Amino acid sequence: AVMAAGLCRAFGALLLSAAPLRPRFSVPPLFFPPSGVAGGVLAAACRGLGGSVPRCTTNPLWKCRVKYTVRPVGMKKTGGRDHTGRIRVRGIGGGHKRRYRMIDFQRLRYEEGAPPEPFTEKVIHVRYDPCRSADIALVAGGSRKRWIIATENMQPGDIIKNSSHIGRMAVLANEGDAYPLGALPIGTLICNLESHPGKGAQYIRAAGTCGVLLRKVNGTAIVQLPSKRHMQVLETCVATVGRVSNVDHNKRVIGKAGRNRWLGKRPHTGLWHRKGGWAGRKIKPLPPMKSYVNLPRVTAQE
Amino acid sequence: VFQGVRQAQWLTKTKLVEGLPPSVLSIVDDPAHQLEDYEERVKRVISHARLWDTTEAIPKREHYCPVLFEDLIHLCRLMSVKYPSLTKRMLARNYKIAATWERESILLQVRGLNGILMNSVAPIPPVASKEEILATEEHVLETFYPISPTIDLQEVNVYQELNSTGFRDGYPYSHPHTLFFLESANIRPNRFRPEQLRAKMLMFAFGNALAKAKVLYGNDPKALEQPIVVQSVGTDGQLFQFMVFQLNTTDLVSGDGIKNLVWIDSDQKLYEKAQCISEVKKRVVTKPAGIYGFQPDTFKKFLALYLHGTV
Repeated sequence: AVMAAGLCRAFGALLLSAAPLRPRFSVPPLFFPPSGVAGGVLAAACRGLGGSVPRCTTNPLWKCRVKYTVRPVGMKKTGGRDHTGRIRVRGIGGGHKRRYRMIDFQRLRYEEGAPPEPFTEKVIHVRYDPCRSADIALVAGGSRKRWIIATENMQPGDIIKNSSHIGRMAVLANEGDAYPLGALPIGTLICNLESHPGKGAQYIRAAGTCGVLLRKVNGTAIVQLPSKRHMQVLETCVATVGRVSNVDHNKRVIGKAGRNRWLGKRPHTGLWHRKGGWAGRKIKPLPPMKSYVNLPRVTAQE
Repeated sequence: VFQGVRQAQWLTKTKLVEGLPPSVLSIVDDPAHQLEDYEERVKRVISHARLWDTTEAIPKREHYCPVLFEDLIHLCRLMSVKYPSLTKRMLARNYKIAATWERESILLQVRGLNGILMNSVAPIPPVASKEEILATEEHVLETFYPISPTIDLQEVNVYQELNSTGFRDGYPYSHPHTLFFLESANIRPNRFRPEQLRAKMLMFAFGNALAKAKVLYGNDPKALEQPIVVQSVGTDGQLFQFMVFQLNTTDLVSGDGIKNLVWIDSDQKLYEKAQCISEVKKRVVTKPAGIYGFQPDTFKKFLALYLHGTV
């Protein structure tokens, strides 16, 4: 019997299925509730229910999908409440129902069985994502499809390149391509930056933002974030080139209170706090550069 | 399927021709092959399926799609008064097809429950001439770099490369004639879009033809002197897709050589709208209940595909 992996269509239905990627979310520990809460419940039971104790809630247990999929996944809103059930963040609640589309933030994720070489993908569709301010793009390459954050001027039908190779000369990068920072010329606008190689993009993901590559120093690169803070990362960290899509996001006018409620934002308290300190211009020096590089400690010898 | 018919073409090494082949078109135009007052009958059939057949106000698609299909087949069978060889056909439902082939070092399979198959005693004669078949040699299959053609297919471990038509040997009606696909799910996301439906029709017609070829000529990949023709009709109750597929070769490993041929006629509407309850605006009936926008050509093509092979 030939045990080659075959590709099969079953039961007259053509199913969408991407090659399984590494787990998107770690499975939350369903079996062990936080010991503090359990201890609290037990303590309350021992003392004859003297005080009320928050019980463990089911949030955020909609995040239990391990396999990556392109289809939008239904999500549960938290309303600003944490795992104990009490409000941790004020002003969140209500709003239109949203389905979460699993975004792949690690651009250099190789397909199963593919060699670790630079590869290209084709943009199929760019659409609005209800869960973030940027637009997302459906890209397909090889035998899989995934969602990524779209950059400005990304059109369906574009070809984008993902590479991990750092050459001696800087690469003239097109918008939407993903390269390690060491391969990009200084002064390029980048987005979707990662702090450690292979971690996945955690910085510069909001609509219309971009960082600037300032300089490259031995094996590290220094990037200016949109908050004008400097960040030092290893040059093998991958970032995409260009500004994030939906550039006019900050210019939009909400127009009415109802639109904020549709977005899931509850109204602020109307109480005027005299010593709040919110008004007026604030002038502060830049915070020091944040370095994610573990340099070997330079000890003064002799 | 992702790219629709283009991806199916690459997987089955097929060249696409728009419109139906000339032999079928000649049956369409020939007035001797038509029923008397068939327009009236077809309108009655559609009204029966879409308006009259149910106890609720509006029949659901799961209900009217198979009813419409049955009635159209019934009308076609009435033609067997003139052509007795039409009686040598049978319909098979819920039968399983299995066909395996290798396509440039990737093993592909078509398996599982099909649509409804109509089998006949005699096979359909090949539609394309020898020159057309040889002309497909120069045709280059289009690839979609950087997307691999196996995108969106399910990956399965096969333990047995199976090739079976679904029928045992010695069955008198052994040649697949036409496949019918009814998209009758109620909700729109559960139904296939037209281009996906056409791709599904192509893949299953190919699977049936390939299984029959392997039964007749053995498992070795080679070019067939007697090409096998399988027809296919797909519908969702209103739009019809007609397809004639001719298998010229079972040598599918490489991308060169003669290709298979497919003629597709897509998106033929049988009727524009079927009004179940008359539309009333401001206490005045604007649109009485009935069928609007009936197109007789679609039924003529349906009948022509049915008669093809015996006429």
